[in-house]
Amino acid sequence: MNATANNLTAADPRCDTTAPAITSSTRFCVPAPGRHFELEPRLAQMKQSLRDGYYKRFRTSPAVDVLAECEAERLSWAQRVARLTHRMCEAQQAVIRPEEQIVFTQTTTGLPRIYDDAQTRALTSGSRLHELGPISNICADWGMVLEQGLARRREVALATRARMKDDPDAVEFLDCAVETIDAVLDLASRYAAEARRLGRLDLAQILHEVPAYRPRTFHEALQALRFCHAALWISGHYHCGLGRFDQYMWPYLEADVASGRLDVPGAEHLLAEFFLSLNKDSDLYPGIQQGDNGQSLMLGGVTRDNRPAVNPLTRSVLRVARGVAMIDPKINLRMTKDTGLDLLELAAQLTEIGLGFPQYSNDDVVIPGLIAHGYEPEDARDYTVAACWEFCIPGRGMEVVNIGAVSMPAAVDTALREGLAAGDSFAGILGRVDANMRLQVARLVGSYARLFLPPAPYYSVLMDGCLERGRDLSHGLRYNNYGIHGACSSNAADALAAVKKFVFDEKGVPAQRLLDALATNYEPDEPLRRKLAEDAPKVGNNDDAADAMLVKLFDLFADACEAIPNNGRSGIIRPGSGSAMYYVWLARGHCGMIEPAVGAMADGRKAGGLFSSSLAPSHGVRVRGPLSVLQSYAKLDYRRICNGGPLTIELSDTVFRNPEAVHQVALLIRLFAYVGCQQLQINTLNVETLKDAKRHPERHRNLVVRVWGWSGYFCELDEVYQDQIIGRHTYGE
Amino acid sequence: MLTGVVFDIKEFAVHDGPGVRVTVFLKGCPLRCSWCHNPEGLSPRPQVMRGAAGERVAGQVFTSTELAARLNNQAGLLRAGEGGVTFSGGEPLAQAEFVAEVMDQLDNIHVVLDTSGHAEGAAFRLVASKASVVFLDLKLADPDQHRYHTGANNARILQNLRLLGGLGVPFVIRVPLIPGVTDTEANLSGIAHLIAGVPGLQRVDLLPYNRAAGAKYAACGQVFQPSFDQSRPSNPNAACLEPAGVEVRVL
Repeated sequence: MNATANNLTAADPRCDTTAPAITSSTRFCVPAPGRHFELEPRLAQMKQSLRDGYYKRFRTSPAVDVLAECEAERLSWAQRVARLTHRMCEAQQAVIRPEEQIVFTQTTTGLPRIYDDAQTRALTSGSRLHELGPISNICADWGMVLEQGLARRREVALATRARMKDDPDAVEFLDCAVETIDAVLDLASRYAAEARRLGRLDLAQILHEVPAYRPRTFHEALQALRFCHAALWISGHYHCGLGRFDQYMWPYLEADVASGRLDVPGAEHLLAEFFLSLNKDSDLYPGIQQGDNGQSLMLGGVTRDNRPAVNPLTRSVLRVARGVAMIDPKINLRMTKDTGLDLLELAAQLTEIGLGFPQYSNDDVVIPGLIAHGYEPEDARDYTVAACWEFCIPGRGMEVVNIGAVSMPAAVDTALREGLAAGDSFAGILGRVDANMRLQVARLVGSYARLFLPPAPYYSVLMDGCLERGRDLSHGLRYNNYGIHGACSSNAADALAAVKKFVFDEKGVPAQRLLDALATNYEPDEPLRRKLAEDAPKVGNNDDAADAMLVKLFDLFADACEAIPNNGRSGIIRPGSGSAMYYVWLARGHCGMIEPAVGAMADGRKAGGLFSSSLAPSHGVRVRGPLSVLQSYAKLDYRRICNGGPLTIELSDTVFRNPEAVHQVALLIRLFAYVGCQQLQINTLNVETLKDAKRHPERHRNLVVRVWGWSGYFCELDEVYQDQIIGRHTYGE
Repeated sequence: MLTGVVFDIKEFAVHDGPGVRVTVFLKGCPLRCSWCHNPEGLSPRPQVMRGAAGERVAGQVFTSTELAARLNNQAGLLRAGEGGVTFSGGEPLAQAEFVAEVMDQLDNIHVVLDTSGHAEGAAFRLVASKASVVFLDLKLADPDQHRYHTGANNARILQNLRLLGGLGVPFVIRVPLIPGVTDTEANLSGIAHLIAGVPGLQRVDLLPYNRAAGAKYAACGQVFQPSFDQSRPSNPNAACLEPAGVEVRVL
């Protein structure tokens, strides 16, 4: 509450009438309500403790072993997974710290085997697993889970079981589902008992209600989500998305505010603690590096029936994420060119602090693209993103959005080397690019033709229709598509543009000279390399000669994906534009990777040179600036590239020296949507700080950077990822 | 048709006016401010810059039509971004007729003229009258100090300030805060009194000194010789500007 200068009058007994009169130019020392959300001392301390690894001391549960009992009882795969969830929940010791209002701390490390290696090989012979095996990188229908509560889900399971009692598969699945529900409920009641033991009646009340029943308050809803989400991780699933958080959480907050139980500042402190909790166990989660754990959260957009979805919680999440400033959850915002600037400014204030949040998705491009690829309009409007940027539908998608990548550099490089040697025309070379892309797509899809998705009884509880139909999630849901990254496109397009200009149009560079240079990594022909690197058209400068090649590459890629009518699970192949970690792997190779790496390329890039991140101009080329970048990338037909992939722009933090800059950055974000691009990753960094952090990591422990679809602590990244970030184009001073 | 020399065209320049802007840096400047952080903007002719990354030429020749076409290519974006084009440099008024000719060919774009004001009155009037907003860089109120630190006194600048008041073009005064030189109470109060009451004055921007200023000198084959102590922080003493009666912004 603000006191004003004129509250005190002479008649007020508090007023010393011998003192000078208080005039309007005097100000009381009452701070105005904070412009930004700040962690209260309790939470600031919690964050510090988290960063110091304080909660790791509770990881003292004895190692869980389920293999023996699985063998002894001759359990099926589904039963083993359920037993895994069961024993892992059971093994968690209830940890309630005095500073906590939202509880759960993982006390186990590692994941027990449910089969040994030989059994796994035998069971999956003739098929393959995806990454680590267990279902990952999808998003539960958290709204449904919270609204029903796990006790109701259990009733649904039992009702279906009764109805399908003559279907042994359904019965087995539903029994497994119930086993997992009971495990999670038991975990919650042990936490409730511990709360009572400690005299934390506030928590005990909550823990008796959730996650069994529908939450009565925002606080209960957060606690329910924490348990149900954490249970996924300890069941062996990963990249567990949080979905449209502001949509499903808002009703609980709205009711609290309406009844006067909670005000927005109080809600923001709870929200902050919930966000902190997502960072507590995350060092245990699988991913390329810490931070790549896919705890993606989506804000904004439209509702299933096409009404504006932004609500006060949307804004609070943006504010709180800024104040919490940690790498989880990963904030995403859906918007269009008509999104209010006030919301974009709030988002730009989060962009300012350099976490790489939010990642923006343009509904005007994404939703029609999904509908054009077979998604029901209501589902398309309900989209969220997976671990990086790939679109998925909460509760309804059993999609593998990252079966791999098409190496656009290799497609072009192979076509150029073979085509030039054979005396092809440029059209002939493009034909070879087409053929190579189809080959790469076919190889990837072929390698996933017999994908085995292990049963996932607990995840099935959280998805739409599995309990209702008596079928495990692994059998498929409404959407069963696969996604492929179209990786490292800018260098590939630049190489085509350079060859077209110098070898074919101007005929100034003989094909053999280029072939010789590529074969020798340009060592004896630096002048040629410089010419290709500096004088050829480059993607990102609104130069049609280069941009046309980029458009062509994605058209060919989309054609190749469209040519596959069925991915083996009655789904399609979705082409994307991200590069993920391929910006390193395709440049340097990677053990076990089937995507082809490349050496020197015709754009002047030498062997080993790192590629740019998703949609971004090639490293080291001269770019005019972010407006030209927008103009270049506006030329793509994003409706075809429906797996997603962000335009990636780095701003220097000096941009934000100007207090007006937040407004200008918001305008730039709106421009991204105005020109019709699909997704935007706009990051803030300071290259000098990053270089210093390489030299003196101890001074920059908490420095966060956006790596690709995730953010991580810079000093914890492998050096090659640090260098890739340092090498990015940065706009601003 | 006139030609001009430009040494940079920067997209999304956030310190050069409102909204999403492109700043055109005209090459050549009649002043020699000792703190200048664009040494490649001093000489009007294209020149070679030699740095660690190799050589490049600073300074590209454009006809007015070529430059206008390049800017118009982004007109839609700049309008949608509630921004426009800023002519800066160097000193844009050293190529006043060229700049005016470019402006006449722009497609409904908001224009900021960012100038030192050290130019003939006719040149100043020619370009300023076409601008949407003028940024006038006032450094030193005292003429002798002005000559010492920039190579010329401020008589023309102050004449053009009065001219500006009569033109009816809104303007912003920009003061680079050079430690111990321009950021003193005396200087800032002096500036405040010079600008108070001039019609069209919107606000004063204080620009803290940029420590990276010296970086490009070696690449230009020049030596950075500041007339001030770089290690001192600049003092954004906004209170001294109160007599001007307008908002003071520290960038």
